[in-house]
Amino acid sequence: MNASVHVDPIGAVVALLIACSIGAVLYWMLHPPESQVQKMAAQTTREVKQMVGSIIVVFSPEINSRHMMALAVKLARGERSELLALYVIEVPRTLPPDAEMPDEERAALDALGAAETIANENNVNLRTETVKTRATSEAVIEIAKREKADLLILGSYLEGKYAGARLGTAIQEIAADAKCDVLIGVEGKHGKLFGEELA
Amino acid sequence: MPASKPELRRSVTPWGSFSWGYSDVGADIFVGLGLVLAAAAGATNVAFLFAGIVYVCIGLAYTELAATYPVAGGGQYFVLRGLGDIFGFIAGWAVLLDFTIDVTLFAWTCVDYMSQLIPAFTGSLHPWVHFGVTLGLIVGLALLNVIGVRESTAFNGIVSALDVVSESLILCFGFLFAFRPELLLHTMHVSWPSPYHLMLGTSLAIISFVGLESISQAAQETQRPASIIPRTSISLILTILIFALAYSNLALGMQPWHPIHDAAGHPMQFWQIFPNNGDNQGKAVALLAAQIPYFGAIAALYVPLLGAVLLLISSNSGIFGSSRIAYAMSRSNLLPSLFQRVHPKFRTPAVSIAAFCGVAILELLFASFPSLYPGAMTLYAHFFRHETGLDFLADLYAFGAATSYSFVFLALIALRLNDPLSPRKFKIPFNLPIMVKGERAEFPLVAVIGFFGIFSILVFTLFTHPIGRVAGPSWLVLGLVAYFIYRRRRNLPVLGSEQRNWRAQQTDILRDAGELELMDEYIANVKASDARKAAALPQ
Repeated sequence: MNASVHVDPIGAVVALLIACSIGAVLYWMLHPPESQVQKMAAQTTREVKQMVGSIIVVFSPEINSRHMMALAVKLARGERSELLALYVIEVPRTLPPDAEMPDEERAALDALGAAETIANENNVNLRTETVKTRATSEAVIEIAKREKADLLILGSYLEGKYAGARLGTAIQEIAADAKCDVLIGVEGKHGKLFGEELA
Repeated sequence: MPASKPELRRSVTPWGSFSWGYSDVGADIFVGLGLVLAAAAGATNVAFLFAGIVYVCIGLAYTELAATYPVAGGGQYFVLRGLGDIFGFIAGWAVLLDFTIDVTLFAWTCVDYMSQLIPAFTGSLHPWVHFGVTLGLIVGLALLNVIGVRESTAFNGIVSALDVVSESLILCFGFLFAFRPELLLHTMHVSWPSPYHLMLGTSLAIISFVGLESISQAAQETQRPASIIPRTSISLILTILIFALAYSNLALGMQPWHPIHDAAGHPMQFWQIFPNNGDNQGKAVALLAAQIPYFGAIAALYVPLLGAVLLLISSNSGIFGSSRIAYAMSRSNLLPSLFQRVHPKFRTPAVSIAAFCGVAILELLFASFPSLYPGAMTLYAHFFRHETGLDFLADLYAFGAATSYSFVFLALIALRLNDPLSPRKFKIPFNLPIMVKGERAEFPLVAVIGFFGIFSILVFTLFTHPIGRVAGPSWLVLGLVAYFIYRRRRNLPVLGSEQRNWRAQQTDILRDAGELELMDEYIANVKASDARKAAALPQ
């Protein structure tokens, strides 16, 4: 092997030009201007990131949010949000505010336990809290303020299982009064209707 | 409501689109460099420059057409739409020839590159092994394509990225440590070729730029094709042009790090190791890379392998491309419906794959015959001026490319005049405003230059390639006879074209491409044009 290395100024300049021009061409190619649709999508993505900084999933005897928990966990994981599962027990005015309500408290443990399991399986940090209150909607709004929540996730309640009142009063009040976004999920009661029809 | 039909997913990113083209065009320099050095000697860089200028015009034409009509089908579709059925057939049939040659030529040179690491694959020493491995690669790729396995966009992207980096490093280190401008001038001066060899070199140089239409073939899977394809096409044009010009100048002006001697022990310049040596011609980039100081020691190990992988991908793209072009031509009633038939289990166009891989194997047999059976040498020498197998494949490749590209330029001019209403997100510069049937149109001057450039290369090819001027036109004549028979049997116009609703098709194309703003613009243009025509009619 005869190492006769020869560095010529012109060769060095050409080498530099090649490196710069290839780099510049590829950079230009990989950075096309955004289309209108892409700009809209980027704006929405930014808004979603702000929207889901802190999420509260609300459970109560009147609000069945079980089916929304998986969605909340996915959302929290994707956006690295703080997630709080809140169980609200409404204490009737015939009882003292801190009255023991073993059945409701047991139901709270079940609901929050299931929520924790889903969160753990998806590697999402979840805080849980049970509150007793005279009015569910007021308590939820209060805690949302305290937590500076960006999103409230609620399930639905089929009162009497008739189609005319799909959402409970508490849900409607929360949706009306909350200062943040509220996501209400109505559980499908009829299966995958369109899929079954096609099948 | 009926279920919507499944469509190709728009998942090809800018890099994915670039790498689709690069895996095809990028491999060409691995094949073309040695052939052009052998033919054009001291004017190799001039041959690449002339072919490169033509290629830039071709690239710009494809960029405009693919951005305006983002459909799979490439040049054949543009010519069909611009010039009519029979010209669409000729362009498609020439492209099909190129794709079948693509399969064989790149499988052949893939083995040549591997021979740099595995000497048993060297064609002149072990012709049967070389033939067997090439045949095995073609059959293997055909089977994979029938089963439906093909390289993914991600794989293409990785190999392309590695190749771009490697080729850039070869050139940068080469120019930095081994380039002597005075040697380049000296070589050009003392080794300037005859006009015949310059034409031969130029016609071979064009094969270093073939395959740009791979980008447009992936148009239906590309995100925002009308915006992305112009960028990826232009980037591909510039990248390949930089590589081709830089390689040719480096090869002529390189002081080899390792001394090169001929069989008699005389010292030689680098470019002198290629003439009359098919083994060297088939692996030029690997040989050049190995001559680079410092980097050459590493490059000698991996550049042959990287080149072989890229060439194998390119060979595979020939199989994929030929079957899909045949499928598209069949859907346009340019080829029998047989070519639309898909395998019942694998859902791939198995008939097309088998048919065109069969043609590729015939080409391989013809190219390998003299080396496998020395008795045939005399026959080939008599009729084909001692052309090697690699020369034969390159001849046909240059013919097919020059023919189809000539028609693409004509199609571009025709579409500018016939279809001025389609919005063009990218337009070739230097246009002449004219009025055609009451519509403002722009006549593309660059397309005229490009047409004469590529047509001159077609003439060079016919003049300088003894096999190309026989086999190429024979392929076209054979195809045209089959086309006439088929069209007559189907009671379709033989010389004319079928009636097609291009307006509705264009709206569908833009909608399917996700280019909704362009679709709105097209519909508005059509309405305005209709309104103008209605107003111009006598009341």
